[in-house]
Amino acid sequence: MFGSKVKIDKALLEKATRYSGIAGYSTVEEFINHALEKEISKLEGADSEEEIKKRLKGLGYIS
Amino acid sequence: MLMGMLAAGGLEAVVDGIREADDDNPKGYHELEQVKDLDKGGDTSWLDDARGKCLKVISFLLQHLPSTHHYKIVFVRRNLQEVLASQRKMLERRGESGGDASDEEMATMFAAHLTKMERQLAARPNCEVLYVDHRATLHTPREVATQVNRFLDHRLDVEKMTAVVDQQLYRNRAR
Repeated sequence: MFGSKVKIDKALLEKATRYSGIAGYSTVEEFINHALEKEISKLEGADSEEEIKKRLKGLGYIS
Repeated sequence: MLMGMLAAGGLEAVVDGIREADDDNPKGYHELEQVKDLDKGGDTSWLDDARGKCLKVISFLLQHLPSTHHYKIVFVRRNLQEVLASQRKMLERRGESGGDASDEEMATMFAAHLTKMERQLAARPNCEVLYVDHRATLHTPREVATQVNRFLDHRLDVEKMTAVVDQQLYRNRAR
């Protein structure tokens, strides 16, 4: 797969490689992609929660 | 409308009347101000006084109901486009923006939020949930009132609950 290059700390990469095997990922890239997707979706969720809060505050449904 | 039905049916409603009826909610808001702070994680001992009564909690705050009590939740589902249209009017009247998200974006966020809430509620052993449809409540109030009454252990007067919706529809037609 073609993609952008990102520098990653050597010790962290070694750790990721070791745990990607333990967790059943076929490659370390697959593991890192999944970990990033998971983190990003958490942040996206936080964004939408903030937007919902703003809306509900505007409506007077929360303080 | 559901709070009005429950109250008419004989269930005491825990409300403070601070937010009064207006053009957006001519029948009143049926709110308790303390509920609006549930997400702040403060004192919730006031919930003790709500035991055996009914209380309005918007879906966003359900996740913050403490585990110290058992809840029977009548969850009103409503078409999201109707919800957003109603919210838009309310925000305009209140002179509030309600955030930066468009209604389209809000629809996506609310849909995801509702799915999350339903999943969370299903996993909480202290929450029993009855889902009722807002439109069905308007069109077949007796059926919905009967369902709610069964869910709440037959404590309510179905005739009086139904009459609340019929009266409201009659008034709306007369306008």
